[in-house]
Amino acid sequence: MLQIAGLLLMMLGLYGLLTNRNVIKIILALNILEIGLNIFIISIGFVRGGEAPIFSSETTSNALVYVDPLPQALVLTAIVIGVGTTALGLAFAKQIYAKYHTFELDEMGEE
Amino acid sequence: MNIALFVAIPLGFAFISILHKKLAPILLIAASLFIIVGLSFVQNGETVIGGFEAPYGIHLLMDSYRLTALYIVNILFLSVVLLNIRKYHQMSTVLLISLTGLNGLIMTGDLFNLFVFLEISGISAYLITSTNKNPLASFQYLVAGTVGSSLYLFGLILLYAMFGSLNLADLSMQVSQLTDKTPVLLPFLLMFLGLGVEVKLLPLNSWVKGILKDANTLSGPMIASVYAAAMSLVFGRILIDLFVFEGRFIVIVSTILLVSILAGEAMAYQSKNVKEILLYSSVAQAGLVVLLFVSGLASWALFMVMANAISKMILFTIIASASEENGDDITVLQGIFTNNKLIGFSFTIASLSVIGLPLFMGFVVKMNALNHLFGEQMFLAIIAILLASVVEGIYFVRLLLHLWTPSETTVTFDIRMKAVLFALAVMLIVFGITVEPIESLKDTIEIGLNVGGTSWRI
Amino acid sequence: MKKVLALVFVLVLGALIMNHLNDNNLFAGFGDAMLENRVSQSYIDRDATENNDGVVFDESLDLESGAANTVTAIVADYRSFDTLGEVTVLFISSFGVALLLGQSKKRIALEFKPNFMLKIGSRALFAVILMTGVFVSIHGHLTPGGGFPGGAMIASSMLLLYLADDEFRAKMRGFKILESVMGVFYIILGLAGLMITGFFLENFLDNGALGTLFSAGMIPIVYIIIGLKVGSEISSVIDHFLSEEGA
Repeated sequence: MLQIAGLLLMMLGLYGLLTNRNVIKIILALNILEIGLNIFIISIGFVRGGEAPIFSSETTSNALVYVDPLPQALVLTAIVIGVGTTALGLAFAKQIYAKYHTFELDEMGEE
Repeated sequence: MNIALFVAIPLGFAFISILHKKLAPILLIAASLFIIVGLSFVQNGETVIGGFEAPYGIHLLMDSYRLTALYIVNILFLSVVLLNIRKYHQMSTVLLISLTGLNGLIMTGDLFNLFVFLEISGISAYLITSTNKNPLASFQYLVAGTVGSSLYLFGLILLYAMFGSLNLADLSMQVSQLTDKTPVLLPFLLMFLGLGVEVKLLPLNSWVKGILKDANTLSGPMIASVYAAAMSLVFGRILIDLFVFEGRFIVIVSTILLVSILAGEAMAYQSKNVKEILLYSSVAQAGLVVLLFVSGLASWALFMVMANAISKMILFTIIASASEENGDDITVLQGIFTNNKLIGFSFTIASLSVIGLPLFMGFVVKMNALNHLFGEQMFLAIIAILLASVVEGIYFVRLLLHLWTPSETTVTFDIRMKAVLFALAVMLIVFGITVEPIESLKDTIEIGLNVGGTSWRI
Repeated sequence: MKKVLALVFVLVLGALIMNHLNDNNLFAGFGDAMLENRVSQSYIDRDATENNDGVVFDESLDLESGAANTVTAIVADYRSFDTLGEVTVLFISSFGVALLLGQSKKRIALEFKPNFMLKIGSRALFAVILMTGVFVSIHGHLTPGGGFPGGAMIASSMLLLYLADDEFRAKMRGFKILESVMGVFYIILGLAGLMITGFFLENFLDNGALGTLFSAGMIPIVYIIIGLKVGSEISSVIDHFLSEEGA
């Protein structure tokens, strides 16, 4: 189920990228795409009945069944990278606004 | 010499460089020189990072293909930096990071690590293009780049779900053992499209136009030459090491490539704008390079990347510098070479080499590639290359005639720029006349290519 | 019209991917992943480079990676090089934001006048959030969390001050030095590993007993570095977005 949800979000983001003509909305669509991808990545590591991959006083030994920790680590990296690109995208958006006084791509042609 | 230093040193310098503005350019040049000097001390093989052997940890790889790639990228990088550092000194930190990213990209032997370096070099590329003062184009570049790397990440995570590893060599071994290759079709297609965005393949290259039409002497050569070379070499590496081409996949890929080559040449032919001509021509070149990689001619593709990178560096630097004041319409730039014979000479050699006329490096590469393709009976590729060369010939000669026609225009070029570009042009001739260095390098590369895991016909 | 086309394209693409994954016998369905076939099982068993007699919480001594949180063990030990790259991405983004938005003089004014209670209250809350951030960073090898969430919490405490006090301006110079020094520390830590053990970023400290605060060798140090670095970077991004040119 989670895989379908992730895939749906990715496709939603892609649809947003294809149809939107507003700088801020494009950044939002990009983020939705990334979140969908992250959910998808997490989902491939799930094991039914598995514990969270942390040793603690309740899950003390490696003999138990754990979910796959690697996709979680990868998602951590992917999220941080997503934050970086979003910050930069917003900075570009601020520059675009300073230059054209609009966020709509269609209204920028005249200059 | 531990090759992890090629990543660690520029990165460490970048962290230091934000403290002191005056120091930053010096650190940049020092790091760049360190890498070029250090390259002569490297040994082939794996360098494990963090002490965990593959496939558990990340490792960097070195072989003659990667060594050549590093030489090409770092030497061109240093020349671009030396020509521009005074004017764009505030970009020093960004350039240090992009050096980190490009070197890591070429050396890494882990697919997810490659994604991280793809983003590092990507983000520094967006910032380098911000010197164009066209935030909209940089923004579109950012969106395209992010979508591209997301597609790549999607593809690689599917591979991980199927094979349980992120290591390039491990994966390529497991993929080559599959009897039915349909399961890997989707991940390969996603990764191909994702990396295709970075390499400027046509259906995906809408960002290129905005970036390169306002390009200056820093961003033009940097994106069109250094980044294009690094990205195509990394792309080629993955095509050779990991992908298996059969059935439907090869049909889709060759269609994309043929459309890319022909449409690129056609648009270059139509354009009246010098930067646009160069830009569409480089799109077509990228398609040709990938076509060679797909056909299995890895070493010739490597030399084609090298020839193209040198040529594009010369062409873009000259045009970006000449058009700084007057724009780059073909009529405005008419006759800029009348008073600048040396610059004109370099430009002419570079464009003739791209076309593939004898005496220049482009010829040697194209000739040998055609020879091999003929042996393999891949006639579609041969027709594409020949057709592309003819169209290139027409528009480049037309462009050259314009630029050499005497007129009133006076443009002055920096003396250092003249020297560097002339040296690069001479390099194109040297490699065009004496075939030995290329031939001997080619032999080591054919052996070296087997290091990555699977063997591949050359 | 364009929207309909885009919708059809996206739906077809999604259906194709779904279909392909369902037909794919190598791709395990949701919840059926087999860890034995993946490298991850070795991360959980901690036997990628050496054998051990099983991992037991609070007892196992000096494993190859000593973090009780396996995700942390991967992020900061097995795949530490990725994390260095990740830190680099954030570094260059925050530098890029500063470069693009310029060294602005004045911060954007609030639309209301913050009263005394708000100012004092936010200061008190600031300390709590800051300490939580530091706590999460330090305990990254034991509990969920770590340097990145911790750093984000530190930055969010700065954001609180920005939102509650119209005169507040962080000392950006100090953050810049912190950011730079922490980055250099990370590289030096990596190079120290190279000198001592021969591998860049190798853990050269004693791993201790699994699950205790002073365990996992380099990991808590790396996470403190990351926490401070991420905190200062995101704070600087916040400062640049809350400032305007000239005026």
